[in-house]
Formats: sequence, C-alpha cells, structure tokens
Amino acid sequence: MDASLDTIRHQIVQLLPRLRRYAIALAGSTADGDDLVQDTVERALKGLHAWEPGTRLDSWMFRIAKNRFIDKRRAAGRRPVSGSDVLETVDAAFDGERAIEARLSLRSVTRALQDLPEEQRHAVALVLVDGLSYREAADVLEIPIGTLTSRIARARESLVEALGC
Amino acid sequence: MLTREDRETLNAFIDGQLPPEEMKRVAALLAERPDWENYVRQQDKLKRALGMEAVIRAPVPERLLQTAQSAPVSWRWWLARQFNRRPGWILSAATAALALSLAVGVVTQPENGIGLSGGQMVAEGSLRQALDTKLASTGYDGKGPRIGLSFRDRTGADCRTFRDGKTAGLACHRSGSWVIQAMAASENETGSAPYRMAGSEMPDMIRQAVEARIAGTPYGAAAEARARAAGWPGAR
Repeated sequence: MDASLDTIRHQIVQLLPRLRRYAIALAGSTADGDDLVQDTVERALKGLHAWEPGTRLDSWMFRIAKNRFIDKRRAAGRRPVSGSDVLETVDAAFDGERAIEARLSLRSVTRALQDLPEEQRHAVALVLVDGLSYREAADVLEIPIGTLTSRIARARESLVEALGC
Repeated sequence: MLTREDRETLNAFIDGQLPPEEMKRVAALLAERPDWENYVRQQDKLKRALGMEAVIRAPVPERLLQTAQSAPVSWRWWLARQFNRRPGWILSAATAALALSLAVGVVTQPENGIGLSGGQMVAEGSLRQALDTKLASTGYDGKGPRIGLSFRDRTGADCRTFRDGKTAGLACHRSGSWVIQAMAASENETGSAPYRMAGSEMPDMIRQAVEARIAGTPYGAAAEARARAAGWPGAR
C-alpha cells in the first residue's frame, strides 16, 4: 500500500551519508552534524507534502538542513566547536595508517571550514564538499549564481592557505 | 600570473560547470599554461580533501537510519496521496448544487445509500455496509461504494471517506450510525476514469472536511483492520 513512501524513505536512507557530510561541514563536529541530520530528516518527513515529486529530493533536504542550521545557530548563539569528535567517524571507516592520515585531514578540513565566514561555508559545503552544480547550490541558498561563485572564490583562497594545498 | 578572469574560468572548470566545448578548450590549454595547470592541481587537491571520503564511507549511525525509516510522515501527504490515487474526484458546479441541496435538506439518495435519522443524514443500505465492512487497504473490489481514508476525528469518532457512483463523501460513526459529514458530486464514476484532470483530482470539499476533523494521522492498514474488527468504536 505504501510503496511510494517506502521508495522515499529508501531514497532518504541513500542520502544519509551525503547529508551527514554536509551537516558536519556546516556544524564542525560529528555530534552536532548528526543532530542536524536527524532534525532534518524528521522535518522532511513531517513536511513531506511540501516536497514536489519529480523535483530533487537531495536539494530539498539540503535546504531544510541549511535552514535548520541557521535557526539553531540563531537560537543557541555561536559556540566554540572542538572538532575532536570527527575522529570517531574516521576510525569507523579506515584502519591503520590510512586512518591517521584521514583523521588529520578530516580534523584540519572541519577546522578550516569552521574558520570561514558562515556565508562562505554554506556555499563551500554545497559545491566543493558535496559537488552540487552552481545552479542547484544557488537555488538551495536562494542567492544569485554570481554571489555564490564569488563566495566560493574567496573561500578557496582561505582554504588553500589553511590546508596547505 | 593568474588574472581574476583566469581564476573564474578555472574554478568553473574544476567544478565541471563550463559548457562541454569550454571544458575541452580549457583542458587543452592546460598543457601550454603551467600556471593554470598548477592552479588546477592545487584546487583539485583541495576538493579531494573537502570531499571527506571518510565520512561518506563511515557507517551511518543507527539512530539516523531509524529516523529515516520510521519517523512519522505528514498526514497532509497521506491525504494528498489517497485522493490522488482516485482520478476523477472533480469539483464542479454540480458539486456546489448538490452541497446546497443537501444543506437545505433536499436529500438525494445515491444508489439507495442515505437516509434521514433524527435530523441527520446517515448511511443506509450498500453505503452503510461498505462503511462497516470494506477495507481500503485490501483494494477496491469493483462493486458498490469505495472506501478511501479512515481516521479518528477530534471528538474521538471513527470516520471514513467514501465514493459511491458520482458521489464522494465523509461519514463518521456515532451511536451506531454512519453520520454523513460532507458530500460532493464528481464528473466521473467510481474507477471509470482512465485519465486524470491535471492537478485537480483532490475534491476540496471533502479534503477540507477531513482536515477540519482529523486528529493525528489517517489509519494504516493495521489500524483500519482493528477498528473494523471492533465495530468502529472510536476512542472509547
């Protein structure tokens, strides 16, 4: 009876790794990122009537995540992020030497992202982290493409410096 | 030295955002421009780091899977879906006329299904039987009234939407009777429409009647079957 709901839930499950990465990029830690993902998925299902079938589910959910992140941030005020719990994620994914490498890289990446101005971080998280097209990312953020690309261009410079690429 | 325009072009190249011809042109130019190539190499490295492969490869926490698989879905979505599956529920002038005639008490009797009892319209005959016994979850048997949504209303009564011939409606079970709460006429007969009217399948009058009354979400298959087995007792 609920075949299409099953399909949507399945699509959401498939999206979870990307949503996690996006949320960690915004929030700066696994714990806060996963809370954001949980909140996003609950909101999406509770508001599923607002999603237009045939349009992209990923962009729609990224937009919900972005709005929830901004709302929460406003409510809680800025608080420092340690970034240390991103390590758990790495240990679950890699063994041995690769884990150390990935851990260093993940820690420095989340830190560098946290140091960006928030509007740049939003743009980077969609385009450079997730790989959305400029058009899709501009739609999610509700900004013109030119604004998006100039934010990303500025962020690239800071990130290259911070990460020593 | 890279100009600002160079950077813009190369950034779009790295992000795969140039038209196919431009992508090819820039790719070919890299061989002649070591400064361009260096920039591309550096930015590729940056993008790889930002891709957080470890996060993508890590197992997703159980609680997130649980949420995706079982968090409640908006009842508005259920409602839209129920009605969208039944093509031909169309509001028309006839709807308004029927609703008006019902409101002033001139009761029509669609296929011997509605009577007056204690000043209320109640389901009788085949409609009553369908409301008592049919399950939407097992599909339409092709005979007589068809049941749509079942749900509990804010007073605690069990309510069901139905469709009988050209009439669609909502009835709630009170004191042993199915009291008609709303009715609307539609152009097409039960299950007879092979095509859909673009974007207008939802019968606003019935949908609004449901929205005004529903408490929580519509019954799923199990809740519907339980309510039938118990004789539509509502919240008692």
